[in-house]
Amino acid sequence: MATVVRSEAAVSAKRWGRRERGVTAALLSAPLLWLLLFFILPVAYVALYSLGAIKILPTDTGVISLDTWSRFLGGGSIYMSLFWKSIRMSLTVSVAVVLLAYPIGYFLALVVRKLKYVLLLVIIVPFLTSFLLRVLAWKVMLGDKGVFNSLLVSLHLRGANDPIEWLLYSQFTVMLVLAYAWIPFVALPIFVSLDNMDRSLLEAASDLGCSRMRTFWRVTLPLSLPGLVAGFVFVFVPTIGEFVTPLLVGGTSGYMYGNAIQDLFTRSQDWQTGSVLAIFLLAVVAGLMLIFGRYIQVRSVAAD
Amino acid sequence: MEIATSRTGRFLLTGFFWLLVLFLYLPIAVLALFSFNDGDPSFPLSGFTTHWYGDVVSNHVLVTALGRSAVVATISSLIAVALGVMTSFALIRRRFFGKPIVSALVFSPLVIPYLVFGISLLLIFTLVDKVLTETMGVYFGLGLHSVIIGHVVVALPYTILTILPLLERLSVNLDEAAKDLGANPRETFRRITLPLLMPALVSAFLVAFTLSFDEFAIASFLAGTQETWPVYLFAQLRVPRLLPQLIAVSSVVFLGSLLLIMSAEIGRRLAQRRYGAEYTGGGFAA
Repeated sequence: MATVVRSEAAVSAKRWGRRERGVTAALLSAPLLWLLLFFILPVAYVALYSLGAIKILPTDTGVISLDTWSRFLGGGSIYMSLFWKSIRMSLTVSVAVVLLAYPIGYFLALVVRKLKYVLLLVIIVPFLTSFLLRVLAWKVMLGDKGVFNSLLVSLHLRGANDPIEWLLYSQFTVMLVLAYAWIPFVALPIFVSLDNMDRSLLEAASDLGCSRMRTFWRVTLPLSLPGLVAGFVFVFVPTIGEFVTPLLVGGTSGYMYGNAIQDLFTRSQDWQTGSVLAIFLLAVVAGLMLIFGRYIQVRSVAAD
Repeated sequence: MEIATSRTGRFLLTGFFWLLVLFLYLPIAVLALFSFNDGDPSFPLSGFTTHWYGDVVSNHVLVTALGRSAVVATISSLIAVALGVMTSFALIRRRFFGKPIVSALVFSPLVIPYLVFGISLLLIFTLVDKVLTETMGVYFGLGLHSVIIGHVVVALPYTILTILPLLERLSVNLDEAAKDLGANPRETFRRITLPLLMPALVSAFLVAFTLSFDEFAIASFLAGTQETWPVYLFAQLRVPRLLPQLIAVSSVVFLGSLLLIMSAEIGRRLAQRRYGAEYTGGGFAA
C-alpha cells in the first residue's frame, strides 16, 4: 500500500515537473528564438564572412582564408592605427565624462535633500532626447558662421573673416560633443551607488576622527566604485564604435574606426575587410565586458 | 555636522551642478531660439517668425519620415514589451537550467555597437533575399520591417530592465490568494498580475519607443528607400537651406519627448499612490 502511494506521488511530481518545464519553455521560446534568429545568427554570419567562407558579392571568392585578418592585425595596417586613435579618443572622453559626472552624482545623492529626484530628472532629460538633434545643436553652435563665431563677430571680438576655425570639424569637437552627449547617462549609475550607500558609515568615520577629505577617499569613493566603473564602461564601450558624431562634426581629423567600418560597407564595398573590422570591434567590446562586467550591476542603468 | 560636505563644498557643488545644467541645455535652447529666427542660424537675430514651423507641415517627405518612425517605434516597442514580459517572468519566477547564460544573452544587446549589429542584419537579410529569389522567386528587400526586427532586439534589454524590479517586488502571495479564491491562471494573470504590472509596462513601452524613434545607426543600414525620421534628418543635415526647418521640427520632437517622459513619470507616481509603494517599481529616474 505504502509503495503504491509513494509511486503515485512520484508520478504526479513528475507530471507537475513536466508542466512546470513546459511553462518555462513557453515563456522563453519566443524571446530566445527572436534573439537567435536576429541577433546571434547575423553576428555569427558576419564572423564567417570575415573568414571568406561565404559568397554574397560577385567579388567574393568563397575560399576560407585568414588573409584579411592577418593583413588587418599585421604591422602598419591603417585600420589598426585608426583603432588605437579611436581608443585614445574614447578613453579621453570617458575619463572626462566620469570626472564631470561624479560631482553631479555626489551632489544629488548626498547634498540635495528634498528635490533630488526632480533634479536627477533635469540632468537625465537631455539624454532621452534625440542624439542627432544634440549633435546638430553643436554643429549650429560651432560652425564658421555658427552661433558662437557670429556672436563673437557681433560683439566685435573677432573680425568677420576671421572665425575660430578649429571649433568645428576637429578631433576636439568630436570629443566635446561625445562628452556632452554621455554626461547624463554616467551621472545615473554614480548617483545610484552613492544613494544606496549606508549613511551611518559616514557618521562612523567622522566619529572615529576622520576628516571629510579622508572620509571621502577611504569610505565614499571606494563604496561608489561600482557606479563609477559602470559609468566609465557605459561611455567607453559605445564611443569606440562611434561613427555618427565624427561624420557630422569631425571632418577628416575626427575620422574614427567606426567611420572606416561604415565606409568599407557603403562606399568601397569591401565587405570582407569591413567584417573583419566589425568582428574585431565586437571582440574588444566582449573582452572589456568580461573584465569589467563583474563590477557592473546591470540594474544600475535601469531606473530602479 | 554635515559629514558629506562642508559649507564651501556644498556651495561649490551647487554652483557646478547649475553650470552643468546650463551646459546641457544651452545648445538645445539655442536651437529652439533659432527655430523662430527669420534667417540663417547665426547672430545677429534677424526677426521673429513662425514660418519654419509652417514649412514643416507642407514638407511631405519630412512628414512621411516622421510617420514611418512612429510606425516602427510603435510596433517594435509592442513586440519588445511582450517579449520583455515573458523573459522577466522566466528570470524572476521560474527556475531553469542555464539561467545565467539566458540572462547574459538577453542583456548583451546593451553593449553591442549598433553599427556592427546593423551591418550584421544587413548581411543576413541580403543572404536571405538572395536565397529566396533563387529558390522561390520571393523578394523581401529592406524596409521598415527590417528596421522593426532590429529595434526589437536592442529595445528588449531595456524593457526587461524596466519590468524586472517591479515584478521582483510583486508578491507571489497575491497570485496564490487569487488561486485560493478560485481564479484560474489566466484569470489571475488578467485581473491581478497584469493590472499591477501596468505602470512598468507603460514605462517599458515609452523607453523602447524613445529608443526606436531616435535610432539612426541600425535604421540607416536597414531602411532601404523607406527613410525613417533620423535617417532623413541625417541626410538633410548637409543641405544648409533646410536647416531652420529641421531645427523647428527637432524642437517639436524634443518637446514631444519631454511631455512623454513627464507623463510617464506622473503616471508612475499616481500608480504608486494607488497601489501603495510596495507593489510598484521604478520609472525613469526614481
